[in-house]
Amino acid sequence: MTEEFEPRIVAFLCNWCSYAGADNAGVARISSPPNILPVRVMCSGRVAPEMILRAFRAGADGVLVLGCHIGDCHYDSGNHRTAKRIPVLRRLLNYIGIEPERLRLDWVSAAEGNKFAQVTAEFTEAIRALGPAKQHYCATGR
Amino acid sequence: MIEELRKVVGELLDERRPELVEGLDGVVALRGSSQGVAPHLFRSGDDLAELVVTPRYPMASVVDLLQDADPDARLGVVARGCDERALIEMAKRQQVNLDNVEVIGIACSAEEAEECRCATPYPQNLVVGEKVQGVEDRLIAEHEALSRQERLEFWKRQFAKCLKCYGCRNACPECFCEECVLEDELWAQTGVLPPPFPSFHVIRAMHTVGKCVGCGECELTCPAEIPLTILYSLLRRDAKELFDYEAGASIEDQPPLLVTLHQVPIRG
Amino acid sequence: MMDAGRHPNITLLAYSEVEEVSGYVGNFKVKVKRKPRYVIEELCTGCGACVEACVWKERVPSEFEAGMGKRNAIYIPFAQAIPLKAVVDAQSCLFLAREGRCKQKCVTACERKAIDFEQKEEFVELDVGAIIVATGFQMFDAAKLPEYNYGKSPNIIDGLQFERLTSATGPTGGEILTAEGKVPERVAIIHCVGSRDERANRYCSRVCCMYAMKHAHLVRDKTGADVYEFYMDIRAFGKGYEEFYERVQDEGVFFVRGRGAEVVVETDGKLTVKAEDANLGRMVEARVDMVVLETALVPQPDIDKMGALFGLSRSEDGFFLEAHPKLRPVETNTDGVFLAGACQAPRDVPDTVAHANSAAAEALALLSQGVVQIAPTTAQVNEELCSGCGECVLVCPYTAISLTDHTAQVNSALCKGCGTCAAACLAKAITALHFTDEQIVAQIEGVLA
Repeated sequence: MTEEFEPRIVAFLCNWCSYAGADNAGVARISSPPNILPVRVMCSGRVAPEMILRAFRAGADGVLVLGCHIGDCHYDSGNHRTAKRIPVLRRLLNYIGIEPERLRLDWVSAAEGNKFAQVTAEFTEAIRALGPAKQHYCATGR
Repeated sequence: MIEELRKVVGELLDERRPELVEGLDGVVALRGSSQGVAPHLFRSGDDLAELVVTPRYPMASVVDLLQDADPDARLGVVARGCDERALIEMAKRQQVNLDNVEVIGIACSAEEAEECRCATPYPQNLVVGEKVQGVEDRLIAEHEALSRQERLEFWKRQFAKCLKCYGCRNACPECFCEECVLEDELWAQTGVLPPPFPSFHVIRAMHTVGKCVGCGECELTCPAEIPLTILYSLLRRDAKELFDYEAGASIEDQPPLLVTLHQVPIRG
Repeated sequence: MMDAGRHPNITLLAYSEVEEVSGYVGNFKVKVKRKPRYVIEELCTGCGACVEACVWKERVPSEFEAGMGKRNAIYIPFAQAIPLKAVVDAQSCLFLAREGRCKQKCVTACERKAIDFEQKEEFVELDVGAIIVATGFQMFDAAKLPEYNYGKSPNIIDGLQFERLTSATGPTGGEILTAEGKVPERVAIIHCVGSRDERANRYCSRVCCMYAMKHAHLVRDKTGADVYEFYMDIRAFGKGYEEFYERVQDEGVFFVRGRGAEVVVETDGKLTVKAEDANLGRMVEARVDMVVLETALVPQPDIDKMGALFGLSRSEDGFFLEAHPKLRPVETNTDGVFLAGACQAPRDVPDTVAHANSAAAEALALLSQGVVQIAPTTAQVNEELCSGCGECVLVCPYTAISLTDHTAQVNSALCKGCGTCAAACLAKAITALHFTDEQIVAQIEGVLA
């Protein structure tokens, strides 16, 4: 019997928008996949490329970074930096042969429980199709 | 070209012609001697026959070192295009004070431009030498033609050679952190060779974004002959494509990843 | 207003603008530009002699009269202005705008010699602990909705202009008259011009239903004219408001449930308002002598600049953003800066008074404590690791970081704890307290365990 691959996805959620959006989904009883492992930060701007790599190193198959919509950042423009960092990191991953689709950036507001569910469901299936990320990494353990 | 350069440097250092001396304490350039070629601070009275320009070396780091020792020193520096660009990026980050630096720009030869796959083989303040045409980096196109799997295998193979000598970091003119995160267990696994794929090199590459001026010292220094410049050249291309940013083009340009989308937008 | 003008603890800087704001809660420095009014405030008594004497009589559209009347080049804004001082409109004044070609009768008329054409702008620096922004609103320009033909007939006016018609000190001495000077027989009042409108502003401007009904009442009371009030919904939410609505209905105002869709200017000068009467389920038309467009309340034109000055963001409707829509209506995300009144959202007089009282109370509470509590989740620099590159300075949305002696320093009062600096620092020399790299990595490891 083959074990179906269950993706493990670390999701960096900003406190004011996407984390609240995830809560919103929960309160409204909208289903999201259990594959999502949330890590709360105050602002998506807090998410450094080094942290994303650390997530992959620790065994994440995919990393999702969700912040406030541009223009709505609780800290005015923290998410502007995220908006620029992530595309560069995705391109770099692509150059060294790692699927850039394993890292996704999106914007989810506190009221968008539906969007949270939709994005997480889509991303989970996308990662499922890509397979485990461990094949790329030769991390020698934690 | 070298003769003309020596003459120019000589004039700048000549104490007997005070109207030409804009108060230079010395000129940073390469000195060739029986012991080899090394960066040197040429002073007035030094034998300028020893001043050479090859093999090339990142002069920006030397200026940084000298300014650390003596912040008020007025220095001239014989600089290729990449040296001048490196100086500008370092100045943006408060590591070099350009007010005290006189750039004596030299142009690279066509062969040198080919070797470095350099798009701008000359500085803005060109004093000696003729500008030659920049070249497109053919390795970028070659690399992008590979499939993702081929790229993965290529880089896994390349990075497997890495000794973590930190030569790439040490040689880089833009690396000036007091303590490097690449030596921090939190980010790059220490005590393991080769460094586990791909954290070490991805972190280093991300740190060069918006700063790398394409001097190629990292690759020249690497004892394992890892073709780092392919990656960094791609990222420089991204900086241009995504943010219309060229490191070292102007001290006024703001590093794209640091400022808002209103200040430097992202394209595409 | 007079109390504010006289209170010993209040210094009124009229005819002035804020140029620069720096500092942080409890320690703001505000640079104010005092524009030259060419009248020495300390000498002027507001007697109005200069206004009488001005040679450029009744030539400038009066801002206070909403364009329904004219004023002179030197003028007192309105009879109850605080401070009651004359001001010279530098663009209209012949002496100032036309190279001194004026007999300067105002100067001669002033017994106190208060007129000084040499006056220059002055800058004042204020050290304050708290700031209350009460910059108000402006009216939506009905010309932006061409179907109302605002500006194509002098009898299509907006609500503020109607207010001037009914004011005893206004251009008609309080008589409701058409532009031809006649008492109207039929008046149409259109609600929601520029409000609740995807093309203009989606929000409801809150105050207009009540004053539209006041206008209807005044028309009935002063002229007995037929009033057709075109509305979508009646918002009569306050104390005594619903009762007033009933009274106005009893006074015989015709309420038509349907947004006034078009105002046609007929060849004979009459106006036809077209609308769908939703209650009747058919189109209706009203042929009237005067149309009053009750326009939306919109943010001031320079709200962008004001926001940048005080570090204030705006909500989707364009007004200043409060710290929390329910629980913190007068605070902003910039500590020490408070909002009072319509600059935060449209509101009427009683609500504005309550809001402003609240802002004053918050400011007082802040200042009386002497110390400010800040969240512990601020950024901290490890000076040994910092190489003074200044990248964090560029990254901080609050300019809370500065470089001193080649080392970054965080102003904990300005720092809001977003952590963007900690992510940007290549050396990880700056830490986001309570959201440190070690803590986040531990969480990452933890969730994947």
